[in-house]
Amino acid sequence: MIDFRLPPDVQAFRDQLRSWLAGNLTDEVRDAARRRGRDDDGALAVLRAWDRRLADAGWAAISWPVDYGGRGATALEQLVFTEETIAAGAPTPVNVIGINNIAPAIMEYGTEQQKRELLPRMVRADDIWCQGMSEPDAGSDLASLRTRAVRDGDDFVVTGQKTWTSNGHRADWCALFVRTDPDVPKHRGISCLVVDMRSPGIEARPLRTLTGDTEFAEVFFDAVRVPASALLGPLDGGWAVATSTLSHERAGAARLYAMIRLRLRDLVGDLRAAARLGLVDPDDPLLLARLGELDTRLAFLAVLCQRSISAPEGDASGAASLAKTVWGELEQDVAVLGHDVLGAHDPGGRWSVARLSTRSLTIAGGTTQVNKNVTAVRVLGLPRR
Amino acid sequence: MNLELSDEQVALRDTVRRALAAGRLAGLGVLDVLVPGSSGGSGLGMVEAAIVSEEMGRALHPGPWLATAVAAVRAAAAAGAVFVPGDRAAAVALPWPGHDPGFAVDATGRVTGSQDHVIGAPAADVLLLPATRDGEVVLVAVAVEGVGAAAEPGLDATTALGTVSVDGADGEVLGRLPDGALDAVRDDVLVGWAADALGAARAVLGLAVEHAKVRHQFGQPIGAFQAVQHLLVDALETVELVAGGVLHAAWAADWGEPDERHLAALRLKAFAGRLATVGDSAIQVLGGIGYTWEHDAHRYLRRLLGWSVAFGSASTYQVELGRRAMMTPLSASEEG
Repeated sequence: MIDFRLPPDVQAFRDQLRSWLAGNLTDEVRDAARRRGRDDDGALAVLRAWDRRLADAGWAAISWPVDYGGRGATALEQLVFTEETIAAGAPTPVNVIGINNIAPAIMEYGTEQQKRELLPRMVRADDIWCQGMSEPDAGSDLASLRTRAVRDGDDFVVTGQKTWTSNGHRADWCALFVRTDPDVPKHRGISCLVVDMRSPGIEARPLRTLTGDTEFAEVFFDAVRVPASALLGPLDGGWAVATSTLSHERAGAARLYAMIRLRLRDLVGDLRAAARLGLVDPDDPLLLARLGELDTRLAFLAVLCQRSISAPEGDASGAASLAKTVWGELEQDVAVLGHDVLGAHDPGGRWSVARLSTRSLTIAGGTTQVNKNVTAVRVLGLPRR
Repeated sequence: MNLELSDEQVALRDTVRRALAAGRLAGLGVLDVLVPGSSGGSGLGMVEAAIVSEEMGRALHPGPWLATAVAAVRAAAAAGAVFVPGDRAAAVALPWPGHDPGFAVDATGRVTGSQDHVIGAPAADVLLLPATRDGEVVLVAVAVEGVGAAAEPGLDATTALGTVSVDGADGEVLGRLPDGALDAVRDDVLVGWAADALGAARAVLGLAVEHAKVRHQFGQPIGAFQAVQHLLVDALETVELVAGGVLHAAWAADWGEPDERHLAALRLKAFAGRLATVGDSAIQVLGGIGYTWEHDAHRYLRRLLGWSVAFGSASTYQVELGRRAMMTPLSASEEG
């Protein structure tokens, strides 16, 4: 039976979380969430403290198994957690990439020592993590990466350059993808190393993005010695490590529509405020039509995401990859409307910033165009080029 | 939460699909899908109705299924009556949103008035007319003999629309339609119609995808060109968005709160223009063959265009949804 309602136990989970958030999420934390990704050490300190508070209360990394400090949350609980925390204006974890993408690989491939040492500090944001994937010549075509690691005694010696590394200039640890065998087809010669970012020979330079912020870094590796014990997963088996990352977190797609719900709510709030000041005509049919179209696309996107999360046999319809494309374009379109209508009255305000920053959404984590190529082949069954 | 069709629902879909392909729909009882079991119907809900409707669209079925099985059955139910179609075709003269019923009934039960764009009217055996009577609205059944139900010319030859004109015909008052009941019936028709259009869109997209796999130009299948791939993926995106919207709206029609139910139906109409672009893209990919009379592509596009103008343009519904979004209560942090 089709049923859009949540079962009572998940509803109870939602109520429990909602009341915890009401008692713990302060305006200071909400404000830091808005400034996440800016050059702002004050905000970062607040965000790290929030992650510790979540961890102490058992609300951090809920998708992780209980053994590693999570709560083994079901897909529906993860969906509810994402909806509620985002709707409440809570920040995403400082180590969101670590928790969702790197940790599952550590759990699957890591040694006991790696798991015990790294995971608790990751979830509490005691350590900041980055992921060394993109390079100047390896963006969408990640497997062509060239940063190389050469075995020398008990160490690997790493040389090369990474770029677009989130938090690279603040990180304590890096899950670094390197070429360990240059003589085999490109997917087969890649390995993953867990690298201490304080190692000699690493230089991380903040990368100023088009918004003026420094969310990313370029990271240079100059003959950096990394102990062989830092290998995560099999030697030359790094491609599987890189693609094994979504085994625990199934509700990532919920973030997509929950974020836009929040943005659209912000937009309506700002439009109403501007209308009260006489700056916006709240009856302008063109404005209303655009708003209504965004509302519609958002509602449909939510179902697409929920289908991909709740499917018992996994996501056979490719709903998740379609959802990512829809999400990027929709959040851009929300920002375009916000900027069109409010930009002149709020120069440098959130709609101006969003108008610029949302350009990243159809690039980061795989461009929309590459995503469409993949969908064409895997879902529609069209021939490869 | 479960968003997967049950085994029974999949079986219903497959049965209807096979029957349509073989031209053996009669006797299957699909007109009675929404009729309560206690009255001899299937006693199923709008999710099942949407499943059947999608198959009708996929097959370009010209029959009066939507008008009879959804509009008439739901309208009678809204008036506290039961309509069991059996093998009778029916139609309901629903006004467009914001318009009053087109008919009035006097103390002796005689009905007068007219309503245009009534789906299923030309083929109907029974007409159900919403009519004003002493400041209230009632539903009146009129036999089609002696009543004008003129077929309207339109782009979509597989969906019959008509103008119903009645001048003092005898009618049977089935019951009173409470406030909002007509809107709710129209919402159910919108959901069924959207599902029909979804079926048409899926079918025509399928034709284009298969063509792209086998049609060779410049030494390779045209489906290997990224420009063609992206056109088709964009169409798939539209189809899957609408599929989610239909699923939710069909569920909400039976289980949702009144507001959720109404909004879900409005959104389907608000997206109707974009859904029609799936037909446009399919014809583009099909190329010259897709522009011929013989090819089915234009029949699907016409079906999609019929939906895009049913009960008003998509932009009218977008404006309404925008207005509602502007009025939605926000949390305490509104000014934050």
